[in-house]
Amino acid sequence: MTLWEIPAKNSAQIDALSQALNPAVAARLSEMGFTPGQDVYCLRRSPLQGPLVVQLGDCVYSLERDVANQIHLAHAS
Amino acid sequence: MKRIILVGKPNCGKSLLFNQLTGLRQKVANFPGVTVELKSGQFKEFELVDFPGTYSLHTLSKDEEIAVVKLKEAMQQENTAVVVCVLDATRMERSLVFGLQVQALAKAHDKTVVFVLNMIDEVRRYGFDIDTTQLADELGSPVFALSAKTLIGLSEFQKALPEIARQPEQYRNEQSAIAPENALIVARELSKNHGVNADVVLKKQNRIDSFMLNNVFGGVAFLFIMFFLFQSIFTWATPLMDAVEFAIGELAVWVTGFTGEGMTTDFLSDAIFGGIGSFLVFVPQIMVLTLIIGVLEDSGYLARAALICHKPLSYFGLSGRSFIPYLSGHACAIPAIMAARTIESPRKRLFTMMTIPLMSCSARLPVYALLIAVLIPADATLMGIFNLQGVAFFGLYLFGIVTALLVSFFLHKFTHQHDEKSDMPFILELPTYRLPHWKPLMYRVVNSGLAFIKRAGPVIFWVSVVIWVLGYFPQHGGLENSYLGKIGHFIEPIFEPLGLDWRYGVAILMSFLAREVFVGALGTLFGIEGADENISGLAENIQADGLALGAGIGLLLFYVVALQCVATVAVLRAETGKARIAAGLVVAYGLLAYIIALLAANLIN
Ligand SMILES: Nc1nc2c(ncn2[C@@H]2O[C@H](COP(=O)(O)OP(=O)(O)O)[C@@H](O)[C@H]2O)c(=O)[nH]1
Repeated sequence: MTLWEIPAKNSAQIDALSQALNPAVAARLSEMGFTPGQDVYCLRRSPLQGPLVVQLGDCVYSLERDVANQIHLAHAS
Repeated sequence: MKRIILVGKPNCGKSLLFNQLTGLRQKVANFPGVTVELKSGQFKEFELVDFPGTYSLHTLSKDEEIAVVKLKEAMQQENTAVVVCVLDATRMERSLVFGLQVQALAKAHDKTVVFVLNMIDEVRRYGFDIDTTQLADELGSPVFALSAKTLIGLSEFQKALPEIARQPEQYRNEQSAIAPENALIVARELSKNHGVNADVVLKKQNRIDSFMLNNVFGGVAFLFIMFFLFQSIFTWATPLMDAVEFAIGELAVWVTGFTGEGMTTDFLSDAIFGGIGSFLVFVPQIMVLTLIIGVLEDSGYLARAALICHKPLSYFGLSGRSFIPYLSGHACAIPAIMAARTIESPRKRLFTMMTIPLMSCSARLPVYALLIAVLIPADATLMGIFNLQGVAFFGLYLFGIVTALLVSFFLHKFTHQHDEKSDMPFILELPTYRLPHWKPLMYRVVNSGLAFIKRAGPVIFWVSVVIWVLGYFPQHGGLENSYLGKIGHFIEPIFEPLGLDWRYGVAILMSFLAREVFVGALGTLFGIEGADENISGLAENIQADGLALGAGIGLLLFYVVALQCVATVAVLRAETGKARIAAGLVVAYGLLAYIIALLAANLIN
């Protein structure tokens, strides 16, 4: 399962970033806190497959589908 | 002079802190080489330099890269005494990831780092506090907690910073820097021990977002805010624009009073005051626009607007961040093209910049007003409800926007991505909603006016002089017999298929100064003095002269599409870094405009 598939108002734990990601983007995502073991909470999903909004640690981020699809989740909870 | 440099992530309050430390006397710092905007100001005996906010030292976008390269250069310079790293105390973990990168970089260059935990007022309001002594110990650098807004802790910092900058060596510890791969873990540890509970801090923000991003209410709020922005550019800016016009007119009368009759006076009143004046009237509008966008940005709404627009715009190869530049383009393309700098992906930024000139800027407004008055009777309605003139105005705006989206769509579909770095994904941090502070806003507003004058002024000056010379000599027989008139007659065959005679050709040529010059030029050619104030008189003359409906509509659409503004071309060249793109756009939009006008002239009758 990837972050893109997480329903609104659900939490999950990040498993890994996909190898397919551009290394610069992957590095930025890690700095933003998208690291293995980190909990994420999905605040909202936008209509028409628009960017999703997640809370991670002390920040709220919005990611578009192409990125969110590259973030693998361990399990939803 | 010894220098202190200020770094921080966007939205940490760095601009406000900079303003509080330096007052309003600041200038754009002059660093040799690349043009990244560094503000500098005087703080005690030091020069304080504000670096553009970057999210990380590992860069994604071109702009970030330039900023980081500059930062590294500054770190190497002898006279850089201290690096002040501003952190958002409400977001310790993320701030510290950046802070530790800065600290490591500074250590590598033997520079001293001072951390500022800004926003401490909010931390206290949530009922937390931060033990700066303990944190300074663990970080191995001085730490100050303060609020740039409520000024808590600011005077202590103002006392301590000069001490540190005078003897920076004493505030550097010998601890080795934290390795980059450990920075994430260390930041997490530190923020767990010292930071505040994220859920408490984010609660208010998330509650507001549940409205502002709501599918229904959020959309309505968005439209409302954008309508307000649009209104402000046109209605509130108008009195200011009139005032500038009036002042320039008075100045012209006063100055030419000394020079008497003759060529000097004609040159001064037409080329200098007339030409430059027709360009200076846009300054207030640009300042009003900057003010509103500044308020939206500092309050945190701009990030939400980008989020809302991202999906629809992505169908056309654009980003959510393209929206504001597009909207600004309805005032003037020049600040709009500069505003496209915030777009994360170089490719999307390029498409945005290339299509901004299609937005109906306010210089086109008088042209639209004149031609619509010629073509459509004032009392005509559409289906008995809508005023047809109004509908036509709206249609022209829409035509520009739709053309821009289509052009961007085709660029997106039929050009190749050169490398991976040329298209970055949309990743956005949603900042906390905050009340903006007037000081940094003031600076931005004034600066936007100055930047516009500096960017466009020289070009406008030369175009104005050239057009004046061509229209003034040889000195007999008025505009018709001038060089410009001759050129008009010479190129008449080009405009003939569009149903336009040489007079329109001359007026179009003169529009290269600024499009609204078209009205005054036609006025001269149709024998109406002061046509700018007397549009209906000129419209009657043109009607009597006979302008075919198809030719008129074609001319209107020509003005929507053609890239006639020399100042915009100059800015496009500077911002894309490629003369080829700017020149290509002039040709491409010129051809497209011509074809559309040709079709209109021949199909509509
Ligand atoms: N409550 C509070 N707000 C602040 C403080 N410092 C800055 N702000 C606000 O935070 C927003 C972002 O500040 P700004 O200086 O533009 O941040 P920059 O992006 O780092 O330059 C603005 O609305 C400021 O008014 C502070 O110490 N406390």
